[in-house]
Amino acid sequence: MFRNCAIIGCGQTKHTSRRRDVSVAELAQQAVQAALDDAGITMKDVGCVVSGNMQGFGGVAQPEQWLGDWIGCPGKPAIRIATGGTTGGSVGQGACYTVASGMYDVSIGVAWEKHSDSKEAGATTGLMHVGMGNLFHALTYGLSLRNLIATSAVGAAAGVAVYQAMFYMHRSGCKQEHLDMVAAKARRNAAKNQYAHLQWPNCRPEDIAKTETIAWPFRYGHVCPASDGASCIVVAEEKTAKRLCKQPAWFLGLASYSDEENQLQSENFGGVGVIDPSEQMGCRVSAKKAYAMAGITDPQKEIDLAEIYQPFPSQELIFSERLGLFDDGTAWRHMEKGETDINGRLPISVSGGVNATNAIGSSALQRILEAALQIQGKAGEHQVPKKVRKAVAHGWGGVTNYITCTVLGDSPR
Amino acid sequence: MAYLKDERPETMMVEGDWQVGAYRWKAPRLLEEFSAGLKEKKIIGSMCMGCGKVITQPRHLCGRCHRRMDERCVLSDWGTITCFVISPKVEKGKYKLFGMDPVDTGTLKLGEILIPVFVRFDGADSNINCLLLNAKPEEVSIGMRVKVVWAKEPKGQMADLEGVEPIREK
Repeated sequence: MFRNCAIIGCGQTKHTSRRRDVSVAELAQQAVQAALDDAGITMKDVGCVVSGNMQGFGGVAQPEQWLGDWIGCPGKPAIRIATGGTTGGSVGQGACYTVASGMYDVSIGVAWEKHSDSKEAGATTGLMHVGMGNLFHALTYGLSLRNLIATSAVGAAAGVAVYQAMFYMHRSGCKQEHLDMVAAKARRNAAKNQYAHLQWPNCRPEDIAKTETIAWPFRYGHVCPASDGASCIVVAEEKTAKRLCKQPAWFLGLASYSDEENQLQSENFGGVGVIDPSEQMGCRVSAKKAYAMAGITDPQKEIDLAEIYQPFPSQELIFSERLGLFDDGTAWRHMEKGETDINGRLPISVSGGVNATNAIGSSALQRILEAALQIQGKAGEHQVPKKVRKAVAHGWGGVTNYITCTVLGDSPR
Repeated sequence: MAYLKDERPETMMVEGDWQVGAYRWKAPRLLEEFSAGLKEKKIIGSMCMGCGKVITQPRHLCGRCHRRMDERCVLSDWGTITCFVISPKVEKGKYKLFGMDPVDTGTLKLGEILIPVFVRFDGADSNINCLLLNAKPEEVSIGMRVKVVWAKEPKGQMADLEGVEPIREK
């Protein structure tokens, strides 16, 4: 197994739709500086830098070259990780690996996204590299433009998520109004998080229900924003962590698994064996592995809080079941009863989550960071009233098939 | 060292382009096989000899077993809807593809409602994502039986499979 390590410092920027005052380097440095200040160390104490954003986004292929100097990389091993939407999760786990392996005593993991640098909504040029090879390939064989637009007009991840939501709703009995409830909860919680993007104090499900339908069952109010922002964690080995930090957030278990490539179509427009996109086998497997490492046998009882990567409200429900927090098909019933609210039995995404703040590359790292803040008791206004001993942070991305699952705790293994 | 931006407030904006279309990709000839099948009004799938799954459109390797999928089979053109989505009425100026509005180019009709569906054709272990035709949004349901709507004169291209329509009793 690995050497004990913990998160001892967290930093993030305010997330908005347009941070036109800063460059990518300046944005990332703001988060790094905040995390170093939080940990009470300087860049001199850091052994290794793990960084990442969604590949191709912002029109930069090697952003680490732009911002290396700004975040103090020179003279240090700098690793860039890009795993699509899960990038932040992989960056957080990467920072843990560099320390857990015994290579370095202190590492930082920094992830960011700057959507507003692209002229198109949601940096679509960046997204295109995911599907362009496949798309042109199929167009060569006379793919109908009408079919293409109709079946995928809602966009990459949204396109997958809307089908995924339908599968989930059909098999669980969840209704559109429950999606309204989850989205309203995310906006409400975000209002208490000073760094979050879409803040809407006292948002009610009725408010979300008034927004226009973009592709049934999704409404405009269900969809995450495209944010500019960065986040950073400082990871240290056991002795250093205990010396520097009163309440470190310990890494107890972590895993990442991939499933078949399933952005509706596999490579070169072949079919996929994934009939139900809400099945998410990768999530079941990574949760199982991470819980085993953490010594958790019954996640329903032992996990106190979850930060779930939920750009769309249906995903909070799907993934909370896949993480073993609820029985299959019952998450919406628990949500309806308020169990996942900030003061509920099992608070989920109390930061507002990805549904309220989505700087893609940074989003999954924020899940780890927010879980750490809750364990450390430093979340501020959105701190949950209950004592958080064990929390799980989740990331979803890749070609909608890649999952990271990280379990944090208030005491080392 | 503190946050540098505080000491360096000035920033300028530069514009540029990134040609994502400027590549040459290598691709297998599987779609050639598939579209040749469509010309004869046949949906071709590939079978994994490891797990027995039949996937359409055909592919070289099984995603789960990592085995070759060399066997081919022809699927029924009847199938079951496993998932559907309903679009709002098509409006002008909502989105663009390759810089063009699909309403202007006549690809989509103003005011029409589109119903993209996942269909599992009988004999297949995968979905095909296509349009449900000749049906009203209120009558579509998961589990609904459908059949292929073929182009009048199939030319051996992906567009020959125009979509699916409900199987109705005569």
